[in-house]
Amino acid sequence: MSAFGRRGRATCLAAAVAAVTLVAGCGNNGVSTGSSGGVVQLSMLTGFTGPDEASYQALVTEFNTSHPDIHVTMTAEPWATVAQKLPAAWATGGGPDLATPSSDPGSIFNYIKTNSVLPLDSAVGTGSGQIDSSAFPSVVRNAFTVDGKLYAVPANMATLVLYYNKDMFAAAGIKAAPTTEADFIADAKKLTVSSGGKVSQYGLSLADNNTIQMWPILQWMSGGDIVDSKGCATVNSAASVSALTQWSQLVIQDHISPVGQAGADADTLFSSKKAAMEINGPWAASGYTSAGINLGMVKVPVGSAGPVTLASTVPLMIERNGPHTAQAEQFLAWYTGKAAQLKFSQISGFPPARTDLGSALSGNATVSLFASALPDAKLYLAGLPEATSIDSDVYVPMIQRIERGANVASATAAAATQINKLTGCAS
Amino acid sequence: MTSLSPSSGAPRRRSRRRFNSAYLFVAPSVVLIAVFIAEPILQSAWMSLHDWTIGSADNPFTGLANYRSLWQDSRFWNALRVTAIYTAAVTVGQVVLGLAIASRLRRTTWYSSLLRTAYFFPFVASLVVVGIVWKFLLDPQVGLIDAWLGDLGVSNPPQWLQSTSLALPTVIAVGIWKNVGFTMIVLLAGMQQVPADLYEAAMLDGAGPWRRFTAVTLPALRPALLFTTLIATITGLQLFDLVFAMTGGGPVFSTESVVMYLYEKGFVEFQMGYASAIAWVLFIIILAVSAVQLRVARNRDGD
Amino acid sequence: MATSELTSPRAAAGRRNGRPPALRSGGPRRLARIAGRLGAGVSWLVVVVGAAAIVLPFLWMLGVGFRTSGDLYADPARLWPDQWTLHGVRAVLDQLPFTRLIVNTFVFAGGTTVLLLLFDSMTAFALARLRFRGRNALFVLILATLMVPFQVTLVPVFLTIYHFGWLNSYQGLIIPRATSALGIFLLRQFFQQLPRELDEAARIDGANDFTVYWRIILPNAKPILATLFIIQFAALWNDFLWPLVISSQTRMQTLPAALTLFSSQSGVDHSALMAGAAISLTPLAIAFLLLQRYFVQGVATTGIK
Repeated sequence: MSAFGRRGRATCLAAAVAAVTLVAGCGNNGVSTGSSGGVVQLSMLTGFTGPDEASYQALVTEFNTSHPDIHVTMTAEPWATVAQKLPAAWATGGGPDLATPSSDPGSIFNYIKTNSVLPLDSAVGTGSGQIDSSAFPSVVRNAFTVDGKLYAVPANMATLVLYYNKDMFAAAGIKAAPTTEADFIADAKKLTVSSGGKVSQYGLSLADNNTIQMWPILQWMSGGDIVDSKGCATVNSAASVSALTQWSQLVIQDHISPVGQAGADADTLFSSKKAAMEINGPWAASGYTSAGINLGMVKVPVGSAGPVTLASTVPLMIERNGPHTAQAEQFLAWYTGKAAQLKFSQISGFPPARTDLGSALSGNATVSLFASALPDAKLYLAGLPEATSIDSDVYVPMIQRIERGANVASATAAAATQINKLTGCAS
Repeated sequence: MTSLSPSSGAPRRRSRRRFNSAYLFVAPSVVLIAVFIAEPILQSAWMSLHDWTIGSADNPFTGLANYRSLWQDSRFWNALRVTAIYTAAVTVGQVVLGLAIASRLRRTTWYSSLLRTAYFFPFVASLVVVGIVWKFLLDPQVGLIDAWLGDLGVSNPPQWLQSTSLALPTVIAVGIWKNVGFTMIVLLAGMQQVPADLYEAAMLDGAGPWRRFTAVTLPALRPALLFTTLIATITGLQLFDLVFAMTGGGPVFSTESVVMYLYEKGFVEFQMGYASAIAWVLFIIILAVSAVQLRVARNRDGD
Repeated sequence: MATSELTSPRAAAGRRNGRPPALRSGGPRRLARIAGRLGAGVSWLVVVVGAAAIVLPFLWMLGVGFRTSGDLYADPARLWPDQWTLHGVRAVLDQLPFTRLIVNTFVFAGGTTVLLLLFDSMTAFALARLRFRGRNALFVLILATLMVPFQVTLVPVFLTIYHFGWLNSYQGLIIPRATSALGIFLLRQFFQQLPRELDEAARIDGANDFTVYWRIILPNAKPILATLFIIQFAALWNDFLWPLVISSQTRMQTLPAALTLFSSQSGVDHSALMAGAAISLTPLAIAFLLLQRYFVQGVATTGIK
């Protein structure tokens, strides 16, 4: 790829001249798909720009070799960019055949509303070449089913676990990773080291913006929540308030975590050996290992409400007005099939997006850990058409205020009013 | 235009020729502006009167409903406040500092050229790169600034971008850092146009450096000052990239500018109608502020 | 931040004390002169420190680009690496189709800037030197487009380009950006300053409008054209949103757009991120250093009014 360094100046110049003449003459038109020589070309736009991109590409390559009549080309751009160009691209019918619109499963509602996404019902079934949605984890199937129709398949499936730095645990004299909320809190305090008012090591690395959500897990642990299934706010319930009070006090008074970190900051804190624990997904493991962390991973500790963690899934959808929807459906059926999901888990470390592969994965400890958390995992703001607004307008700023010392009862009460206004909850 | 007497060929030909060539000269720009700026902005005005969602088949006409909800939208007012503070601070900071630096570096020597280059350099860097670099510089864990403050014995260095009260001032400082060089160059250019004999006359009158500055330099710089103020105001009111790269508008909306909010509404929540209403309010504010600045400058000129 | 003689009260006071020199006796006068010198010294110091503060982030960026993350985490207070590594540069070069990106960026930024200078100077020439109906209205209209926030026109423009069938093409990238209100404004100011005698002489020799524009006005406009070239080339080179939106295909991407994508990769590979930033800045830095001598001259000659 890095031909630039080796080629001479003349080659570059020639290429530039050739490119300039292109401007005057032709130039490709907007339609990015087509068929050449009997091969149907499908384009797929994703937001997988991270280290996990290679795993998706490997899967796509395998599909292309096993399906000589279809060729899928996957591109990856940042989520913000995808969100910016996909709506208009799909509205004009000139966009990619397949796309992951956002890392937030709630985003599918926007595309359903604009009639730009293909319902997959006709392709669903358990036969070969069909999309076997019955094998999807139920949280995912429910999130992607709107008014009885399936609109997306999971491009990936992730659960969050507790990452910890074994060396720091050993240095603090803690024998084992926490399994209960009480131990979790005690360890977080114990692992927070400060000298002269300056914290040199944090017990836990929490993020409150541009991140996979961590705070809902802390609420769920002891029975709190944000919104119930009817769209009514529960963020101000007694359990929620007490959980938020407890954890915000730990942050404010005990300084177990810095305030105001974005997801990337939280990861940097952990990989720079300045935090002992972080709640994170499977994508983080390789980076921490290569940063030289003596890494341990366990399921999220259990609180009074029983085991729980956050599930995350990226929706993969088909453009409604695309020219090759049948081939795109074929791709989705293959992509979510047993063989592909097994392979994807093995190369990416993500749990499979199917629940019927348990025994096949027992050899891989990491994948097994993430997969074992799946039955207790919940999606953030699952199934709410207003999820995007609730997240950005209400929940994220509420957590940010609480972390900075706002009164929990009044902050949650205000948030509840806002949520109910957005969802139209009557009560 | 003129009343044409159809029989006289010569004048008609001349008037047509003059008419034609001027319009030919402006045609490319006019067509591009019409198609790619004017038509889209008018289209967005039309969108702002609808409950318009990108790609939706049904976009009901809602009249001024978007503008009415905007009036009651506290997040919009916050964004307006943030934008106004940013614009005022950056404009004043840029012009005052730019003026100070320009007057120091007015004479061209090898070292002043070097310093000019240094000050101007951030102008060619993209706001995104600037945002990313500063974000890391100010990072409490890996950033240079807090590490240096720590070495100086500051035990709890400020949380520049994490604090709701410090985030906006920090973004303002970076905004000034980025653009002060441009202001400096424009003002420098203005200063070099002041005829030397004006200074000599002032010196003969016994005017000191400060007096020479206020009595000779400043009045001569009025056009350049107006230009830099106007450009700084317009770009300030359109603040987006820097906030996008540095804070994403947070924490708790403390750095959310109007265009950032517009972006959220339009491209994250898909409410193009509402986003267009925000854009139009902003557009009108920019027009009004610029008109006032031009008017103030013209009145002064009239003195 | 930086202050200088104008804002530093001590310096200003020093100057004021020294104002009527004749009335002062020797002692205070010398004192005033010393104070003035001191003020000048302090203000120079401030200007130099300010320049250092301007340059520092770029040095730091270079340092981090060649530093291992372990080295950075261990001592963030150091400006330069202890352990040098090419990891960041290699990561950028390995993961991005570099030749393609460079070509695309030069075609986009260079092509657009050249067209823009042509169109803007033509319009500015008409506005400054020719008489036609609606001239003032046109000028006001052009200035008003400066005030349109880019984000609001993005969706309608995208739809237009789609209808033209220009998505993923150089013309889609270039043509919509090939004129700029700021450029027209600056050029018009410049053209108005040029002496009228120039074109009158040429017209007596039988030159038409086009000849006057091409043979008389443009050759005299080199400084302002160089200035505009830098301003516009930098703006286009740095623009990442526009190329990203217009070109969905990797083969049409530009360097900064690709680097922006690159920078969003999980966000923790500091050296790759900063190396990428440094690489994207290099061509601009070179262009700027080559053309900067025109700069003050170019702005000066517009006599902005």
